[in-house]
Amino acid sequence: MSDDPMRPVPRAWADDPALDDGGLDDWTAAGASPGAAGAGAGTAAPRLPRDAADARAPWPGPSRAARPLGANLVRTGLALVVAFAVLAAGAGWWQVVDAQWLSTRPDNPSVVAAARRTLRGPIVDRNGSWLARSVRDQNGEALRQYRDPSISSVVGYASLLYGTSGLERTYNAQLLGLATGDPLSGLAGKLFPSASGVLGLQLSLDLRLQRAAVAGLGSDKGAVVMMDPTTGQILALASTPTFNASAIADPSTATTTMTALQADKGLPLLPRATLGQYVPGSVLKIVTAIAGLDSGAITPGTTYPQQPGAEATGLLVDGFRIKDGHHPQTDGTALDLIGATEVSCNIWYALTGLAIGGARFVEEAAKLGFGQPIPFDLPTSASRLTNGDGPAPGGFMDDAELASAAFGQGETVVTPLQMALVASTVADDGLLMRPQLVTALTGSAPGAGTVAPQTWRRVMSAQDAAAIKAAMEQAVEGSLGRLFTTGAAVPGIPTAGKSGTAQLGGTGEPNSWFIGFAPVDHPKVAIAVVVEHGGRGGERAAPLAGSLLKQYFALYGAS
Amino acid sequence: MSAIARVRPAPRRIPNIRPRMRRVELGLLLVVAAALVVGGASLGATERWLRAQATGEAITAFGFAPPDPRGLGAYILGLLAVHAAFVLAGRRTDQILLPAIGMLGGIGLLLMQRLPQSLVTQSFGTLELGLGELQLVWLLISLAVLALLALLVRSDRWLRAYKYTWAAAGILLLAMTFVFGTDVNGARLTLSIGPISGQPSELLKVILVVFLAAYLSENRPLLAEESMRLGPLRLPPIPYLAPMVAMWAIALGVVVVQRDLGAALLFFAVFLALLFVATGRVSYVVGGMVLFLAGSWVLYQVFAHVQVRVDNWLDPFRDPLGQGFQTVQALYAFGRGGLLGVGLGAGLPTIAGHLPVPAVHTDYPLAALGEELGLTGLLAIFGLYLVIVERGLRIAAAAQDEFRALLAAGLSLVIGVQAFIIAAGNLKLIPLTGITLPFISYGGSSLLANAIAAGLLLALSDAGAVPPPPPRARRWRRRSREERA
Repeated sequence: MSDDPMRPVPRAWADDPALDDGGLDDWTAAGASPGAAGAGAGTAAPRLPRDAADARAPWPGPSRAARPLGANLVRTGLALVVAFAVLAAGAGWWQVVDAQWLSTRPDNPSVVAAARRTLRGPIVDRNGSWLARSVRDQNGEALRQYRDPSISSVVGYASLLYGTSGLERTYNAQLLGLATGDPLSGLAGKLFPSASGVLGLQLSLDLRLQRAAVAGLGSDKGAVVMMDPTTGQILALASTPTFNASAIADPSTATTTMTALQADKGLPLLPRATLGQYVPGSVLKIVTAIAGLDSGAITPGTTYPQQPGAEATGLLVDGFRIKDGHHPQTDGTALDLIGATEVSCNIWYALTGLAIGGARFVEEAAKLGFGQPIPFDLPTSASRLTNGDGPAPGGFMDDAELASAAFGQGETVVTPLQMALVASTVADDGLLMRPQLVTALTGSAPGAGTVAPQTWRRVMSAQDAAAIKAAMEQAVEGSLGRLFTTGAAVPGIPTAGKSGTAQLGGTGEPNSWFIGFAPVDHPKVAIAVVVEHGGRGGERAAPLAGSLLKQYFALYGAS
Repeated sequence: MSAIARVRPAPRRIPNIRPRMRRVELGLLLVVAAALVVGGASLGATERWLRAQATGEAITAFGFAPPDPRGLGAYILGLLAVHAAFVLAGRRTDQILLPAIGMLGGIGLLLMQRLPQSLVTQSFGTLELGLGELQLVWLLISLAVLALLALLVRSDRWLRAYKYTWAAAGILLLAMTFVFGTDVNGARLTLSIGPISGQPSELLKVILVVFLAAYLSENRPLLAEESMRLGPLRLPPIPYLAPMVAMWAIALGVVVVQRDLGAALLFFAVFLALLFVATGRVSYVVGGMVLFLAGSWVLYQVFAHVQVRVDNWLDPFRDPLGQGFQTVQALYAFGRGGLLGVGLGAGLPTIAGHLPVPAVHTDYPLAALGEELGLTGLLAIFGLYLVIVERGLRIAAAAQDEFRALLAAGLSLVIGVQAFIIAAGNLKLIPLTGITLPFISYGGSSLLANAIAAGLLLALSDAGAVPPPPPRARRWRRRSREERA
């Protein structure tokens, strides 16, 4: 015990006069004598033994200088302990909390090295057909191959030169085996290392439908989204023009391919289904109907007395004239929800929009996913009713803009994925499922497993959904509706839908839209189609949707 | 006043040198040695495995030998030799400091042996030494210096009486570096005299602590009194304020002249800490910080290199391949480490054959250690620094007078604060400043300066020679007990 230099020592030893002779020749002159940190003894300053300070002090009263240093030392030590605790917290932040983010960043040398060395996990469709796979080239480096260009906007590419896009980007860490999951399972992985951490992806996509959609769009630019409304699983997510992802992944052709693609005015690298923002035209009326019914602003039987009279000359809102083209067919009848949807009545929907009000309209649309990028396996653009800088409620400029938005013109833009979700919500009795592309992470590494479908939220009651379903069925199967949605109906299977003709301003052809689902009583598939400059909805989008629905039922059956 | 103390003559020489067991130190040193041997074995196994992976050859014998077993052995023997010297000298100095420092030095040695040896090379005739060997040489020299200081320093007169001489020497050193120094990485830190080159600012920090301890202990009464009020601030009398303002000017001068942000920050932080220890006034510390921040702001506006450092700190990912490269790569290294680290020797993937963090052996050893030893290893290292500081402050608290108390506090704080500044810079808590991680970073100046500080600390902790032998009766009783056992 006497080894401890911190042992308390009788005060008297510290007061040994030997300390007083102006500098200490021998640091241990007093024998073993620690203990008097507060006792001043120096060449110039008067010495101040702790217990005698007041008596000897040349200044009156208790003084700071007479206080021992001990307390200050403790406080300084504590300050340093706090400082090092901050260091520990900082290290914990980078090494635990932020580690996953840091370790999967594309310019992290370990990611770069892994990309060069590792065979990325395979990507397959819902039937196990391969979409992307990796092989070794003659130098032993990993080379990525893609099945065909139809999936390019979904799967993307993985290139040593140009990084990654699409699902290859979203799931880069998993495909490369870099994702260790949470710190604890990473710890377990350290103790029981598995051969490879590489995971593969199984998609809900059906390659046959995907190819059919791309073939159907042909040389037009556009997008198709097909999904299962009850699970949110995406069956087809087509965007044209496509590109050859294998040529980007191959280092020998990457540069020329990429340069050409980037210069292409058709923007083949833009995944239109998820990032394309289109004026929706009349397909947006379904959003207006949902908002109207759910907010209670309208009922399925709502009619507007001023509507029939305004058909001939147009409805004047804030000096803006809203016109319709269907009055030769309806001939002065006051339309309700079903009638207005069948003939796509702009005036009825404009009045509905005004009845809902800007703020409520934006709020209801947000329940469908408007206003925010949709959480998805791929990056998405936000759909919006208005650009939101106006003074009226909801950010509309005035009632004219609100009325226009209600039938899909004005400042309204949407993504094809968002419109597929709208159709899917109606089909699924008002329940909105989270859209899902990856259904399983395959492989033996930690993190493998299926990804269950998730309910996003209930948008409206089943009763409201049934009313809109009936209206959308009438729009496809009804005698007048058929004129607007030519070719959308699948023979033998009741089909519901809504076409859209999105006026773009200027002299160009409008964008051709269709959204719908089938069969009406127990929907199995929902669809959204947009063809840029495809003309009226019934001309291009509706027939394409009909043919794709037919192919779906040929593959999967109607029941 | 005890009568006994008066009567007993004050011995000026150690009456009798008797060897004295230091069981705590020996036990801890054995733990340190075991940890280092395990570390060396792990490093050797990993390196062999990686080599086999790269060349494709089979691992015939799974060797666990450290990559440089003689180097590691020499270092451990060096530690034990210092311990033996302490035992033989029979002084009652602190027993915790040497193992703590030894562990940090050993971690540094393993790291330097593990990094590419060509990072630093030096030839002595036909003898070419790489990074690990140079670090070993400096470590052994530093251990010798530490032991010599701990054992031979008996008087503080040479320190306290010539404080202005020391200060002048420090400023001279600074001036010489400015005039004759060479620029490395935009900072003028290195002074070469003949074949020997070093960074004077490392030595300067020890000199500074000596000067401050002497100045503050002498003027403590006056500095602690309230005699001037300036708004909410209480200031000491003007004449006593002057040296402090001079200190502030010197600290910022170091930045301007040497472009050495780290040293300036260290000097000023230690200065403020000691000022607080001496006076107990928080207002001085706050005032000093405000002054420093104001000065830093001006420097930020004026000097491009300061702006670069601060901007990199704020957002290194803005330019991850250019200005922010090193910072970002260090963060990646921390991230790869995780909780337990990737293991000694298994970290630091190279980019096209180059180390991602070029200054890993001097400025960023913590990033390499964080990657290979993980958060656990970093916490252990932080703990070791805190142990050193805690021992130093204890020595200060037990010191016989204010000069020694302030000296001990200053010497331990200079180590602790320096470790904090560079660690916080590595971890992106503050802008990076290029100073070394005490006892771990590569570099002779740094190791020597810290060894001097530690050696002085040990000397200050000396509780004297062995007290007079215990009474015969007790001794006899103990001996008989031992015989029975």
